[in-house]
Amino acid sequence: MFEPLDKLLTNPIRLMVMSVLVKVDSCDFNYLKKMTNSTQGNLSIQLKRLFENNYISITKSFEKNYPKTSCRITKTGATAFASHFKALQSYKNLDL
Amino acid sequence: MSALFGLKNKLVYVCLNLKPFIMNPSDQLQLINDAINKTKEQLKPTSVNFIFWGILITLMSITHLLLPEFIQRSRYSSVLFWTVIPVIGMIVTIVYNIKMGVKKGYETHLGRALKITWGVFNVAWIALVVMSIFKRQNPVEDILFLLGIVLLISAFIIRFKPLVIGGALVLICSILLSIKPELNPLLLNAIAAFSGLFIPGLSLYLKK
Repeated sequence: MFEPLDKLLTNPIRLMVMSVLVKVDSCDFNYLKKMTNSTQGNLSIQLKRLFENNYISITKSFEKNYPKTSCRITKTGATAFASHFKALQSYKNLDL
Repeated sequence: MSALFGLKNKLVYVCLNLKPFIMNPSDQLQLINDAINKTKEQLKPTSVNFIFWGILITLMSITHLLLPEFIQRSRYSSVLFWTVIPVIGMIVTIVYNIKMGVKKGYETHLGRALKITWGVFNVAWIALVVMSIFKRQNPVEDILFLLGIVLLISAFIIRFKPLVIGGALVLICSILLSIKPELNPLLLNAIAAFSGLFIPGLSLYLKK
């Protein structure tokens, strides 16, 4: 039986962000931009969507007069990621 | 008919443009795997800390051992020698680690655990030094015991055998000092710092 996939996590950028955040305690915006290879605007939109769904928490601060954005995965996000990962594994042997 | 053909073309266009954004499950699993593998704890900055402290404490112990009349020329000169230089070293290490953290852009759970462990060690070290001043006791034995424990904790966290051996050697030096008080604490301190900090730090630095 196939389990339903999390629609929010089928987007590659959002999935990449969640995969990084599940491994780390906190991560800054520039590292996520480098990892996802996306533009600043696109990444901001994807982070906003994850934040709105309470999958991540975002902290904004200043470092040497430059704004710094840090992200952390929330409990809801970690649970959703784990369920999505489990669901993906059930589709693994399916040739799509 | 032409309207239907146009609609079909539009649908094909939309599907082709959406294709890269719709990933199949195996691609998604691959993406997760890549992201996790790329975000690893970098142990080189940690090894630099061990090398720095290994060299600093070994040199300080040897200097004190070879030039006791210079280091102990006044009542508090040796206390100042063993507090001011390590505190400067601590500040240097903290600044270095903050810079490395900013450069890296993320903090792993393992990195956070190490940061907390060594932060607590710093506080405990200061407390031990202050207590030894009040008690008029040599703190080397207690500090080595504490260092040995913290090294072993770090070694088990990062799963690095040379550091386990280093931590055990530091603990042995501490035990030797307590059962054989006639042994020179400065010499044992130098041996402990060299074998427990410098050698494991260097092997961690050289590890691929």
